[in-house]
Amino acid sequence: MDEVLQPFLRSLETGSVYALAALGIIVVWRTSLVMHFAQGSMGMFAGTAVAFAVNRFGQPLWVSVLVGVAVAVLMGFLVDFAVIRRLRRATAVGKEIITLGLIMVFLGLAPIVFGTEPMLMPKAIPSGDIGLGTASISYNSVLNIGLSVAIAVALFVVLQKTKIGLAVRATASSEPTARLMGINTRRVTLLAWALAGVLGMLAAVMIAPATTVTPTFMNTVQVTALFACVLGGLQTFYGPVVGGYVIAVVGNFLKLYVSSVWGDQLLYLLILVFLVFRPNGLFGKTYMQKV
Amino acid sequence: MTELDTRAVDAPAPPRRAAATLRNMPRNPYLQYALFGAALCVLPLLASAGVLKASTLSTLAFVLIFSIAAMGLNLLLGYAGLISLGTAGFMGLGAYLAAYVQDDIGLGFWVALLAALVIPTFLGIIVGIVSLRVRSIYLAIASLFVSEILLKTFEQVEWFTGGTAGKQSAYPVIFGIQTTRGSMFVVCAVALALVMMLTHNVVHGQMGRALHAMRSSEVAAKAMGVNVLKYKLVAFSVATAYAGLAGALYLFFLKSSYPSTWGLFLSLNVIAMVVVGGLRSIFGTVAGAFVIFAVPELVLKKLPVIGDISGVPYIFSGVLIVLVIMFFPHGLKGLVDLVVGPIRRARSNKEVTGA
Repeated sequence: MDEVLQPFLRSLETGSVYALAALGIIVVWRTSLVMHFAQGSMGMFAGTAVAFAVNRFGQPLWVSVLVGVAVAVLMGFLVDFAVIRRLRRATAVGKEIITLGLIMVFLGLAPIVFGTEPMLMPKAIPSGDIGLGTASISYNSVLNIGLSVAIAVALFVVLQKTKIGLAVRATASSEPTARLMGINTRRVTLLAWALAGVLGMLAAVMIAPATTVTPTFMNTVQVTALFACVLGGLQTFYGPVVGGYVIAVVGNFLKLYVSSVWGDQLLYLLILVFLVFRPNGLFGKTYMQKV
Repeated sequence: MTELDTRAVDAPAPPRRAAATLRNMPRNPYLQYALFGAALCVLPLLASAGVLKASTLSTLAFVLIFSIAAMGLNLLLGYAGLISLGTAGFMGLGAYLAAYVQDDIGLGFWVALLAALVIPTFLGIIVGIVSLRVRSIYLAIASLFVSEILLKTFEQVEWFTGGTAGKQSAYPVIFGIQTTRGSMFVVCAVALALVMMLTHNVVHGQMGRALHAMRSSEVAAKAMGVNVLKYKLVAFSVATAYAGLAGALYLFFLKSSYPSTWGLFLSLNVIAMVVVGGLRSIFGTVAGAFVIFAVPELVLKKLPVIGDISGVPYIFSGVLIVLVIMFFPHGLKGLVDLVVGPIRRARSNKEVTGA
């Protein structure tokens, strides 16, 4: 029993991290039609700020996370306000290349701002397990899973039920039309970039206790979140979230039962093969292009 | 266009026409590339004469090698408007294949080069077929997929790559001659000149026109009878072939290869080279490779305070990408055109009025 349940529970936690990061990417994609490659790097930067507040200033984790939220929102605003917004006439490819450039900027900036010494991130709940039959799960994992599911659900509710959500969805379906209808699309994209930053930061804070905080600690999350978006399909907000969980669960079982060495490669190949048969992902609809 | 026509009509005397051809000679692109390659071949002589430091020569050799990979990406990014994040993976595959075929199987330089060209290209075509049917951005992610798979493979398949300890190789024997660092530099220069000529050919042929049409409107190009998928696929496979070639040359020049070289950061740097040098510019790509690779190596690392900070080359590349896209969409090439354009125009006007 615990041969199946235990790894399943563990992959739910990593899945939550992927889901949060993927959610950030899809929010930007839906509102700006730009693939946000720097999502992980920006999350890394804000996450390192959290670790910095904990390690150097001895702040409790929740204060540090608030600092991280402030840093992430500021970064998101700055990137949209100073760069993306000025590129009205640039193509989507140009904007995507900019996000690729931002990866390098944040990667280089982090050691300069926060020092080169690797830092450790404490868990929100340091110890304690819940027994589930023969398997067990730590309180911290339950918190992480619960938090990311709650954030995803809250986001969907906001998107479907509130006026801001309507504005975001309108912008997502057609930015020029939304603008003509009187929606302040600039504010929507600003919000999207800031939200992406916060989601990336949360993903970083959740994954960090399992590793050390270095400029590259979010690389796997960054790459996997992009894959989750493709797997889930870029047309819905919930697709990438589901994609994140699917990748974590399937990946974990492949590593455990098929090959610990080839698990990742096999998973990526499976997704590629899956895309041959369902090019638009799990929940994708066919996308029409017009002249 | 009209300037050219009047000149042709207004130049009746054969000697004057000959002089005009002579003056226009360096404008023949193929000759330009050949001259450029030949000029590069002088550098190893300067190095052996002690004028140029050996480490500088190595840095310049890597500039040439990365130029080749960037040339392929420029074709892809500049003409087809597609992003590939797999350049590093395909380069690494080329490097390890070259080492495996030359040193482990012992089939020599040419077979190794062929393997480094053919196998990555084949892989690239498969990736392209899978991803390009959906939408363009999928190619970026699919190539990232493959690059990740390759990177993990490089780390783990020790009989092929030597694992994280790295793969050692030796300078190849070409046409019965044992190469050295200097002659490998010449090989890289010749390869770059050939790649420049080939790229020029590709973009000025039917394919170039098709790619131009696709870039402004894919659907319109499709309606005009352009097989969009085919040309995207060809552009991507040319890019992977160049990446494989660059990887093989990298291995032959450095004589070793480590998995950590072939990560996402290298792919991003190659994109930076293309963007900074100027999209759709052949010489610009080489200039971009120089700025992105050689300037941090030769200048930034020598600066007093900045040189000690490890993240500076990253920030340098990243900020340049952002600034160039924001303010100089045509990169270094655009900057050169801004300066040279008026001069050239003034000169050709004078020629016309003079005749």
